[in-house]
Amino acid sequence: MTQTKTAPQNDLPEVYIDDILMTLKYFTDEHETHLKIIDPQVCMSCDSKPCVQFCPVGAYRTQDGGTVQIAFQSCVECGTCRVLCPNSNIFWKLPRGGYGVAYKFG
Amino acid sequence: MSTKEKLTFDVIVVGAGLAGSAAAVIAARNGLKVAMIERGQTPGSKNYFGGALYTHSLLEIYPDLWDRKPPLERPVTESGFWFLSKDGMVRATVQGGKMQNDPIDAYVALRAKFDAWWAEQAKGEGVFIIPKTVVVDFIREGEKVVGVVTDRPDGEIYAPVVIICEGVNNLLTQKLGLSKHDLKAHSSALAVKQLISMPAETINARFGLPSNNHGLAASVMGDVSMGLPGLGFLYTGTDSVSVGVGVTLEALTKAGIKPYELLQRYLNHPMIAPLIAGGRLMEYGAHIIPEGGWTTMPKLYTDGALVAGDAASMVNALHWEGTNMAIMAGKAAGETAVEAHQKRDFSAKSLSSYRARLEKTFIMTDLHQYRNLSHFLKTRPDFMDIYPAFLNDALGMFFSGFGKPKKQLYKDILRSLTDRRPLVKAAGDMIAFGRTIIGF
Repeated sequence: MTQTKTAPQNDLPEVYIDDILMTLKYFTDEHETHLKIIDPQVCMSCDSKPCVQFCPVGAYRTQDGGTVQIAFQSCVECGTCRVLCPNSNIFWKLPRGGYGVAYKFG
Repeated sequence: MSTKEKLTFDVIVVGAGLAGSAAAVIAARNGLKVAMIERGQTPGSKNYFGGALYTHSLLEIYPDLWDRKPPLERPVTESGFWFLSKDGMVRATVQGGKMQNDPIDAYVALRAKFDAWWAEQAKGEGVFIIPKTVVVDFIREGEKVVGVVTDRPDGEIYAPVVIICEGVNNLLTQKLGLSKHDLKAHSSALAVKQLISMPAETINARFGLPSNNHGLAASVMGDVSMGLPGLGFLYTGTDSVSVGVGVTLEALTKAGIKPYELLQRYLNHPMIAPLIAGGRLMEYGAHIIPEGGWTTMPKLYTDGALVAGDAASMVNALHWEGTNMAIMAGKAAGETAVEAHQKRDFSAKSLSSYRARLEKTFIMTDLHQYRNLSHFLKTRPDFMDIYPAFLNDALGMFFSGFGKPKKQLYKDILRSLTDRRPLVKAAGDMIAFGRTIIGF
């Protein structure tokens, strides 16, 4: 009997997260971003970048030079980036009242 | 202090979720002037869950629940575990028998719809709802909380007692020092879900449900989380299916898996894909579940403030309980606010009766009993990998071992366990798991 232990990670499907996000409804705050990188320099020396890897809506992208850009418009306000940032380098607050994601079903 | 008249209520509730609306309506029902502040466009618009709601808790707030026509989906008439291997599944679900309570214990729900209705009921009993407003800070007199600061211009609102039902990202609770630290990666599960629309008849046929008045709730283990400490779930709504998976942030990080890829992998699983084939994605979402329970519970009260629900880490991860705890804790917080007004004493000492109330319910007992669950999964990270896969192999071999000497069959079954885990360690796992559940 041969056993596979943990499934190999290369069996993960490719997902186009932007297509999936089309199902979400947002009220975008045009005047204020609720997420900010506190010190961009810190991101340049961060190899793991859990924000980029684990944000469930892929709002964090690595830029040339190793800084991180945030598409705050797609944030669903879960908190993952804040909890995982090894350098506490993400300024995280809730969008202003009424803004941000608005689940239609939940 | 401004020269303008201060906006004052008897009670402020922060967050119009399950806990918030419960707390608010109990206070209003007892004659208090209640403001409930909600940051979303409408109550529920920020809330995302599996999931099911429990009638015992809904009836606790509204004994005439059914006359109010709550927007619930299907009752859960079948419930249980699905153990996934890489290409197979063992189902252990229960239906009929003790599941046939009147009313049925659990109902599938969609939170954006339900929470809006839940808040509307509170409004009907006099609660003043302030939507599209974020509470950013507290107003204090010395150590005492006497109100909140919102993100509106001149947004100070006063009340001698504030009930914090802000949800899992409990930044206000932290601000008050009730929680000493932010969420931790090992006790926070990130759950992602797709809501998939399908005709009710298709759902009935595929899940073996006799009618639209029957529903399934499955807790899915094993390959769903790639063996990582976490659970998948599947709930049948009236004409939609909720399919999702939650894994601790720590496990996700260690494995280096993107949450939406893990979810898509689950949806592509050969045992799952046919069940949802042809369905249309209606909504994707993500939410953190505070699975630390007892171990991450903040202090529940201070001078002028109480905390309830996810903000207070009131979740039993193994039993999918959280919504009911939020409602029951909201009720207890509402009652405590009423009592404090009767005594005209809003000190921490007076509000400590909130904790005493909670201790009389299953909330504190259960959370204490399961306090070691996060630690158990942290120290046995392959628990969800080994046993669901073994179960699939064992039953698969048992039911396909025709024409073979049975002695050999049992040896093979045993070896499919020991190949994964030495027998002594497997026995150790079971004992440790038993102790974790019993709460030793």
